[in-house]
Amino acid sequence: MSTRTDQTSQAEATTRHTPTTGRGTEAQQPRTATRGAWLQVARREVLVKLTDKGFLISTVVTVLLIGAVLAIQGFMQNRTSTFDVVTTDSTAAAMVDRIADRAPDIDDKVAVKAGTESDAAAARAAVQDEKVDAWLQRTDSGWTLVTKDTADSDLSTVVSTVVRETALADNATKAGTTMAALQAGTTVTAQQLDGNAERSGLVTALGFIFAILFYLASIMFGMTLASSVVEEKQSRIVEMIAAAIPLRQLLAGKIIGNTVLAFGQMALYVGVGLVGMSFTDYGKYVAGLSGSIGWFLAFFLVGFVALACLWAVAGALASRTEDIQSTSMPITMLMMLMYFGALFLDGTARAIGSFIPPVSSILMPMRVLAGEVSWWEPALALLLLVAFAVGLILVSERIYRRALLQTGGKLSVKDAWRTQE
Amino acid sequence: MGNGPSVGAMLEIKGLTRRFGDKTAVDHVSFPVPDGGLTGFVGGNGAGKTTTMRMVMGVLQAHDGEVLWDGTPITAAERRRIGYMPEERGLYPKQAIADQLVYLASLRGMDPGAARAAVMELLERFGLAERAKDHVEKLSLGNQQRVQIIAALVPQPDALILDEPFSGLDPTAVDSMAGLLREHTSRGVPVLFSSHQLDLVDRLCDRLVIMAQGKVVTQGTAEELRAGGPVRYELVTAGDAGWVRDLPGIHVADVDGRTALLEVVESGAEQRVLEQAIRRGPVEEFRRVVPRLSEIYQEATS
Repeated sequence: MSTRTDQTSQAEATTRHTPTTGRGTEAQQPRTATRGAWLQVARREVLVKLTDKGFLISTVVTVLLIGAVLAIQGFMQNRTSTFDVVTTDSTAAAMVDRIADRAPDIDDKVAVKAGTESDAAAARAAVQDEKVDAWLQRTDSGWTLVTKDTADSDLSTVVSTVVRETALADNATKAGTTMAALQAGTTVTAQQLDGNAERSGLVTALGFIFAILFYLASIMFGMTLASSVVEEKQSRIVEMIAAAIPLRQLLAGKIIGNTVLAFGQMALYVGVGLVGMSFTDYGKYVAGLSGSIGWFLAFFLVGFVALACLWAVAGALASRTEDIQSTSMPITMLMMLMYFGALFLDGTARAIGSFIPPVSSILMPMRVLAGEVSWWEPALALLLLVAFAVGLILVSERIYRRALLQTGGKLSVKDAWRTQE
Repeated sequence: MGNGPSVGAMLEIKGLTRRFGDKTAVDHVSFPVPDGGLTGFVGGNGAGKTTTMRMVMGVLQAHDGEVLWDGTPITAAERRRIGYMPEERGLYPKQAIADQLVYLASLRGMDPGAARAAVMELLERFGLAERAKDHVEKLSLGNQQRVQIIAALVPQPDALILDEPFSGLDPTAVDSMAGLLREHTSRGVPVLFSSHQLDLVDRLCDRLVIMAQGKVVTQGTAEELRAGGPVRYELVTAGDAGWVRDLPGIHVADVDGRTALLEVVESGAEQRVLEQAIRRGPVEEFRRVVPRLSEIYQEATS
């Protein structure tokens, strides 16, 4: 049979399709070109998923989870904890009063309420029974803060700060000098060149979240794609589809459909996360992060498409749903490698890795987020990733096309590559 | 016999060849599928019918030869207008039947709105309108087969290629399927279908193509095939018919008591046999035996 390009055949179809007798009018109906068939395929992929209860429920649950985590975070940050601290003598009572005064200055989330007990035994009992949080007691060498379990770190910080200040001031007076004189030249101020400490922590956390999101989305939608490929193969409907449209269009439609779903879901999660974050103390960083998140989504998109081709091949090589486990093994391994690479690579290795596809799809956005790179670096890495994706699409398409109509059991990549169409 | 007319056949298969490894599954197969006619495609398992049909549909690449549509090599757009029912039936197990029929029609370029109307009309016709929202797995095998044929019929096809459309159907369903195919041939559409059921093919087909071991062994209209077979007469006399053995110009295929089956070698010899028989006593029966398709088939494929 002669091979011809789609374009010429389309042209011929329009010029010489003159139906003979009896063909009726329906032959003259305009029909959309084969080229648009991927859109129908993609549409079906999306619709089937969007009407899948399991998918909808898991998406809603995840959104709620993100919201809940951020709400708890915000609540925890803004909550003031009040501690009941008892004493048994006036010296200690005076100290607790001072602590209660100073507490808001030292830590605005800590409030101290003073109380008294008649003697040591009563104070101990009150702490033991959790009627109060702590008992502050003067000893020969200093002070003891008695608590039932480990003392709350915020409380002990406040208590020890105030006690030290008071003791130092007393000692200074006794030595004939002042607190200010004693403390002169002792302050160390931390100065971070890139961002600040709080932001650094946030960036590290976000980097890991990105890596996990990419990993989860690729596995989840990759599996969906692979099983929808094998479903067509296993149910044999693929022969009817193959008779109607080129398999390239089918593959393109499936990849595009699943990419739209994965990307949409990811954008939803990231959006909810950012909006939620803006209500917490981290809100001030949201605007500054948007550039990094833009890069993350761009890398996600290209990286996902590249991996999606591999998932489609895994589906095409299988002949039953059960085979996917084994045909997709190399991809799952690759994904683990990417994920752990992103987490554990450091220094030069991290810098180099962030350019090498497909690891770059996780590492580079993390580096962008951390502010380690100049603008051209993510651009170059993205370009390399796009080139990698295009190469992968071409190779995958060939294997997919050849493997799809072979229904006699599981195929190896080599066999599929060599099979004649 | 011969290759038949290429005039009046929109769809024509020319020299199609396909090898699988060293084995040639289809070897230079040529035949026309005349417009407005039912062409039956007959042959044993592994004769190459399915492979040929797959090549016609472009699902399988041909190693040689071509499929002509209106005299020139068929294009992808023209193929999409052919209704196809593959040997291995299949539909999405977990999607409402109406939805997937609409989807398949839209892949073949039909507007989804028009496709839905056409699908509902056909479901109605096959008595499946209430099942439109059911999943395929809930349907009986016969109904699944009906859904499959609907998939080939939406959108209104320019030709039909059906691989074993009658397999698994009960006699009533066979009749309604046959009626349906006739409806399409009367629109002028060429229909090619394969079958193992020779009597069915004999009853329905305007034209036959018989394949064996990857080659077309014979083809033509039913009359042409019969004409090509031996001219035979059956004679039933009152007494023993053994005397026919001595007559010239005929070949005695079989004698069993009062019944004899004769093959005419020299034309006109059968008249002499009848004269003789009448002279010898009462003749109970003397008739031309039209060969059954299964006989032609056996002869062609042996």
